[in-house]
Amino acid sequence: MKKIHWLIVLLLAMAMVISACRGAAPSDGSAVVEEAPTAAEAEPQEEAVVEEAAEEPAEEVVEDLSAEADASGIGNVRVAIVMPSTISDVAWSQSMYDSLLRIQESAGGPDVMEIAYTENMFNVTDAAAAIRDYAADGYNIVIAHGTQYGTSLFEIAPDFPETSFAWGTATDVGTEQGLENVFAYEARAEEGGFVNGVLAANLSESGILGVVGPVEAGDAKLYIDGFVAGAKAANPDITVNVSYTGSFGDTALAAEAANTHIQAGADVLTGSAQQVVGAIGVASEKGVPWLGTQSDQSSIAPEIVVASQLYDWDGIVLDMIEKNQSGEYGGTAYALTLSNGGLVMEYADGLDADAVAAAEEAAGQIVAGTIDAMAAIEGTMPETPAAEESGELELPEIEPVRIALVMPSTISDLAWSESMYDSLLQLQEAYGGDVIEIAYTENMFNVTDAAAAIRDYADSGYNLVIAHGAQYGTSLFEIAPDFPDASFAWGTSTNTGSEEGVTNVFAYEPRAEQGGYVSGVLAAYLTKSGIIGLVGPVDAGDAKLHVDGFVAGVHDTNPDIDVNISFTGSFGDTALAAEAANTHVQAGADVLTGSSQQVAGAIGVAKEKGIPWIGIQADQSPLAPDIVVATVLYDWQPTLLTMITSQQAGNMGDQVLELTLENGGQKMIYSDSLPEEAVNAAKAAEQGIIDGSIEIVAEPR
Amino acid sequence: MRELTILAIVLGVIHSGIRLATPYLYAALGETFAQKSGVLNLGVEGIMLMGAFSGFYTVFVTGNLWFGLLAAAVIGALFGLLMSVVSVTFQAEQGISGIGLYMLGLGLSSLLFKTTLGTVEGVKGFSELHFCLSSLGINSDLCLAEVPVIGQIFFSHSILTYGAFALVPISAWIFNKTNWGLSVRSVGQNPEAADTLGVSVNGTRYAAVILGGILAGIAGASLSISLLNIFQENMTNGMGFIAVALVYFGSWTPVGVLIGALLFSTVNALQLWVQVLDLNLPSDVAVMLPYLLTIVALALPFRRAEQPAALTKPYERGEN
Repeated sequence: MKKIHWLIVLLLAMAMVISACRGAAPSDGSAVVEEAPTAAEAEPQEEAVVEEAAEEPAEEVVEDLSAEADASGIGNVRVAIVMPSTISDVAWSQSMYDSLLRIQESAGGPDVMEIAYTENMFNVTDAAAAIRDYAADGYNIVIAHGTQYGTSLFEIAPDFPETSFAWGTATDVGTEQGLENVFAYEARAEEGGFVNGVLAANLSESGILGVVGPVEAGDAKLYIDGFVAGAKAANPDITVNVSYTGSFGDTALAAEAANTHIQAGADVLTGSAQQVVGAIGVASEKGVPWLGTQSDQSSIAPEIVVASQLYDWDGIVLDMIEKNQSGEYGGTAYALTLSNGGLVMEYADGLDADAVAAAEEAAGQIVAGTIDAMAAIEGTMPETPAAEESGELELPEIEPVRIALVMPSTISDLAWSESMYDSLLQLQEAYGGDVIEIAYTENMFNVTDAAAAIRDYADSGYNLVIAHGAQYGTSLFEIAPDFPDASFAWGTSTNTGSEEGVTNVFAYEPRAEQGGYVSGVLAAYLTKSGIIGLVGPVDAGDAKLHVDGFVAGVHDTNPDIDVNISFTGSFGDTALAAEAANTHVQAGADVLTGSSQQVAGAIGVAKEKGIPWIGIQADQSPLAPDIVVATVLYDWQPTLLTMITSQQAGNMGDQVLELTLENGGQKMIYSDSLPEEAVNAAKAAEQGIIDGSIEIVAEPR
Repeated sequence: MRELTILAIVLGVIHSGIRLATPYLYAALGETFAQKSGVLNLGVEGIMLMGAFSGFYTVFVTGNLWFGLLAAAVIGALFGLLMSVVSVTFQAEQGISGIGLYMLGLGLSSLLFKTTLGTVEGVKGFSELHFCLSSLGINSDLCLAEVPVIGQIFFSHSILTYGAFALVPISAWIFNKTNWGLSVRSVGQNPEAADTLGVSVNGTRYAAVILGGILAGIAGASLSISLLNIFQENMTNGMGFIAVALVYFGSWTPVGVLIGALLFSTVNALQLWVQVLDLNLPSDVAVMLPYLLTIVALALPFRRAEQPAALTKPYERGEN
């Protein structure tokens, strides 16, 4: 009895340790099966790095491959694959995994061909670790199934010259880097896109088509561009509405996008990436036909998935295996095309015969070469709503830097922590994962734990350790002097510790009263009842500044408006924040705002009651797109760049950095639904703050 | 405050208080069962988070609110079972195992959230019932929720809130009027005597703790699929621990727990109104109010029922 006693105590201790040590990323668990993977399952958060647009096909020989791959002659082989999403994503990842399974069966089963896989590797660092592990474990072929893995892959490949690596969407096999063991592959998705476009144009009666896109890059962009070109070729008067959700996995948003398209009159829909599950759900509900790509999505909604462009990687996989076994470990760039059988068009039974005939004719012409899908795309510029980056960010040259982030909440908190993490990710995307390495620890609301994490990161050689919480100051000033070669950053604060002789701490503070002021002006224009509600966390830090600015903005516009402010006393009490919002609404408020991660509760109430919300810190509109009418977005990129360049020039700290409207640290985002007069007033306020003509005076509370 | 009558404010406070009390009630009533049987479960917070996630995720995937509630209850039961095995069978130190359970629930719910959903999403949860005649097929606009005063207090809550309040008399009845309730109380008060009378001490404790787990799971779901309709990591923010304290506050009786939960939640609702009403009270003081009042109430020297004598003491036959 007593022995088991100790075992249980040990297990519990482990549970405590494991759950307390929140590492850099979710577990990778090779070949871990997801809990209840269903086609309708929501996918993990959007990939951090976008798939790059496919370049012109490389000079290497592009093999022509038959879709009927007979693998019975191959010898024993071990194949591993690392994927950004799941094997059940009915899209990108599943298409490759299904191919592997088919080859395995044709080869004679798992005894001949062993398959191992790791899913959900949207984080490049994790993926790189998985790729390296597989190679070290002796797998013959390691497939890095994501464009973002390229840089890491090129670092790993030289260490394993007798392992084949495969990489896609890509055309670069690394010859410039002297690599001989890398295969590259891509899907010329614009071909099937063109065919689907022709089909859709023929099926549509309303003359309006809807496209639910993920990110405007990679095979998604090719597919959609091809689709638009094909539709216009079949019917020049057709309207194709294209929207991008900005993510590969945002199922809810994809569903919303589908709804929007249908409401705009579309009677045929298409789209790509694993999030289409959401869109297909909506299409199924509304009886709108869906054209799919990448994988066969008809299992989700058999009646409405009327056509698909299937990615058949079988031929490529078999060719790679055969080459690998004959000693040729890489050097070939493959493409899936209609003519080599890598892209297969499938049509549902009972589909309008004329439409299918037109589509097959188009497919035939692409194969024969009489239609060039890429040229057709260049001829027709698709009407995509501009996904613009407001303001250009200057990217100076920097050396590789390792950055660690310690946060009091989570990277998905829709507020303080998420804003900093997102900015870090954007910088990493701009410079590449080999220049900027990121590590983070979440939920460090306990200062002692945070201090330990900060010290550990500094000990492990991180160049810049960001202590992202006002409460971390005292501990930070004790740690910083022990690591003179590292830089630390601390916020919200204006104290760099110089009085205590600390020289390697950057302090940062969002001048939240600026964004608050502009929000206040906006809110003053929006309110009809003359009462505005503010759900605050704690009357300190950037929350306090925000409130100060907001009230000033409201009263400078109209001194008779009541701004009711309540503080919940916590940053994370979601339930209380919801109650606070309710209270405000009952007190007559018809515009709401607030800060910190608990606003998720308040936004829920605002959504229920139809009250507009003005957000701050991060973009909360995914939670309630119609309700979040404006956001003061914290963009930490300029601040981070200043810290990095400063440090690399030898200036380790001792600077106070601010997020302001002027330096681009705060950006106002306005929804299209706002009245013009209000937006103009808000923009005028922005200008006034920037040029100094507006002075923000905090009212006493 | 323009045009807001005292009545409107009072009604608002009461409505908010009742709504806020829902998760506390479920969790604290569940914990009452566990503690009455002699087991201290400090892991309520972790079970609430797991219940919140399971309920939310089930609703997110299936769209069925009752499946979500069922999922939360089942997960809660499993965690309750885990606690029972550790505390009752293996007789671990209950305070520590409870904290371990809390951390397990916190970490696991966050991990599951990150790997499945990743971003904060919304669902359509149990909404407020308005008891309208139109839902009975009668052609009328009349809704009980619109009746002045009583409408807002009694007739405009979600079904889970009604469930929580209904649970109070049900729990009281179970404790006082059923055999099993008697077993629970005796096992917590004098397990040796209960054992000699043939009551399975460990079996009863298992049942009580599992029931506590189920209710804690439902408490979490009441947040994610009724009151807030979202899931966020660590969204309970300490509610589970307050619930445990409420059991002590309520002297281990359902009615006492009800009073405690209502007091705490109503004062919380009140402090929000106080801030809105511009009463020149610093926000920090307002925020302190509920906790302050709870401490004061606890310090008042009126007779409090003694805690179950065997609370936190594992039982093994033959030990005295």
